[in-house]
Amino acid sequence: MTSAVGRVGTLAVPAQRVGKLHREGRAAYLFLSPALLFFCVFLILPFLFAIVLAFSDWGGFDLGTLRWAGAANFGDVLSLDGTFVKPILVNTLLFAFGSVFLATFGSVLVAYCIDRLAFQGFWRVLYFLPVVATVVAIGNVWKMMYQPAGLINGVLNKLGVNSVGFLSDASYALPSVTVVHAWASIGGAVLILTAGLKAIPSQYYEAAEVDGAGSWHLFWSITLPLLRPALLFVLITQFIGGLQSFALIIVMTGDGGPVNATNVAAFEMYQRAFKYGAWGTASAMAMVLFVIILAITLLQLWIARRRGEETS
Amino acid sequence: MKRRRFPWFAYLVVILGAVAMVMPFLDMVMSSFKGAGEYGVIPYQFLPSSFDLANYREAFAQLELPRLFRNSVIVTVSVTVSVLVTSAMAGYALAKLRFRGRAVIFRFILATMMLPPFLLLIPTFLIMLNWPLAGGNDLLGRGGDGGLTTSLLALILPFTVSGFGIFLMRQFMVSLPDEMLEAAKIDGANQWQIWRLIVLPQTRPVAITLGLITFIGTWNEYIWTLLISSSDPSLQTLPVGIQLLQSFLDPDRTMPIVMAGLVISTLPVLVVFLLFQKYYVRGVVLSGLK
Repeated sequence: MTSAVGRVGTLAVPAQRVGKLHREGRAAYLFLSPALLFFCVFLILPFLFAIVLAFSDWGGFDLGTLRWAGAANFGDVLSLDGTFVKPILVNTLLFAFGSVFLATFGSVLVAYCIDRLAFQGFWRVLYFLPVVATVVAIGNVWKMMYQPAGLINGVLNKLGVNSVGFLSDASYALPSVTVVHAWASIGGAVLILTAGLKAIPSQYYEAAEVDGAGSWHLFWSITLPLLRPALLFVLITQFIGGLQSFALIIVMTGDGGPVNATNVAAFEMYQRAFKYGAWGTASAMAMVLFVIILAITLLQLWIARRRGEETS
Repeated sequence: MKRRRFPWFAYLVVILGAVAMVMPFLDMVMSSFKGAGEYGVIPYQFLPSSFDLANYREAFAQLELPRLFRNSVIVTVSVTVSVLVTSAMAGYALAKLRFRGRAVIFRFILATMMLPPFLLLIPTFLIMLNWPLAGGNDLLGRGGDGGLTTSLLALILPFTVSGFGIFLMRQFMVSLPDEMLEAAKIDGANQWQIWRLIVLPQTRPVAITLGLITFIGTWNEYIWTLLISSSDPSLQTLPVGIQLLQSFLDPDRTMPIVMAGLVISTLPVLVVFLLFQKYYVRGVVLSGLK
């Protein structure tokens, strides 16, 4: 038995040292107290409140009138007769998938190309400008460029193409907003991928070149597989960002129009809550979106891990 | 040099992409100088006929820019300072002090980064509204009109601590040598003195990184500020004030004025970013590679 030894062990620790450790623990909690207090008030409490709200029926500001509603809100939100599942959730997924695809494809291409140029820092700063600008600036500038008298239609007209109603035509509006979101997030992705590229030892390339591998072969069989951790991070964070963002939509289309064409789940939640005061329905929407984000993130991690086991 | 294949193709891709990145900003600057008859006309003209500052003067007149600017500065500076201090404190405890529950608290702080902001938007707003003893509320948070949402504190408090900031500080402080802290302890310094006089001065590089990320993020914050200031316009910051300008003026006349306002509100961030871009870039990369 270890108990006797253990007891001797504890007794053997000088009282002074125990006191020291005790004091260190107290100091640690003092250092942590602002952060822990904050997380209680602005994270745990709202999170629990969000769950309660999603299962309750409440339209006012007095908590006394809050009533338990069970899963009724979720029934309303997920009902196929409503607008939430279609078109709003479908829009959300198209917006997120579309911008992740464009931004990832674009940033891999750009990061790979920048990596073989002079003045790399200069190029990266240019690509990073949209990341630094406020969404109000980005949204308004693009809204302006998309107008019939704007820059993009001006270029199209010069090329002999008729003007396109990028934001006013229901079939173009969502892709137009998606492109802007992708455009704004390329810079951050380029940085992370660049760090990933720099971490690939150059001997791998040299060895493959000695074996006579071409550029494409180098890219497919060395760069892409070794870039996977950075790529996975970019994919997951962009997905999470794409599924929950709606500031760009408020700025560019105002009410998610034309006729819900650019309405996304987080924006619908925002409007239900703060325009109509339907806290319960809005919170149920937030929960549904949260579960979707969690599921897609876990799925991506799971796929990445399985792939990893197959190749290694 | 290694791998010098296809450099012309690489230049083509990167330059075309860079034009797409910079062009909207150039269009913003050019449009901010366009006069009444120059904006919104077909065919599109890139260059304005003159570079006079009429739209900038108009932006000052229509927007009460000094008030918006003051609010933006107060909120941004408060949030940045507070995030730096609380991150350095919590980061120190997690990196250098031994105490019960350290692993659990560290994992909890990592987990806080996973909760998406939209999920907390509604409950946080309601909590601010029912904040006890604020804005006329009683001890139970009832009876007042607006609670904390009528004060700039509503734009500051929910951002005073950052899980990412704590994580960044902790990662940096783990690498500080223990001998230095031990030596100070033997000299009779208490934990607060060790943190304040020995640890804090060494965190400069990571503090600049965290400070910049927080500064730029807070300066550009939109949704929460829009929400809080919707009932009290005196709380508007630059992005919100400029966005709302459009709702009550004719678009063809307003857009150049809005663009002037956006140039003014983007400049501080741009200057700060260009001066310290090395640190900002490092922060983004650190967040990606853990």
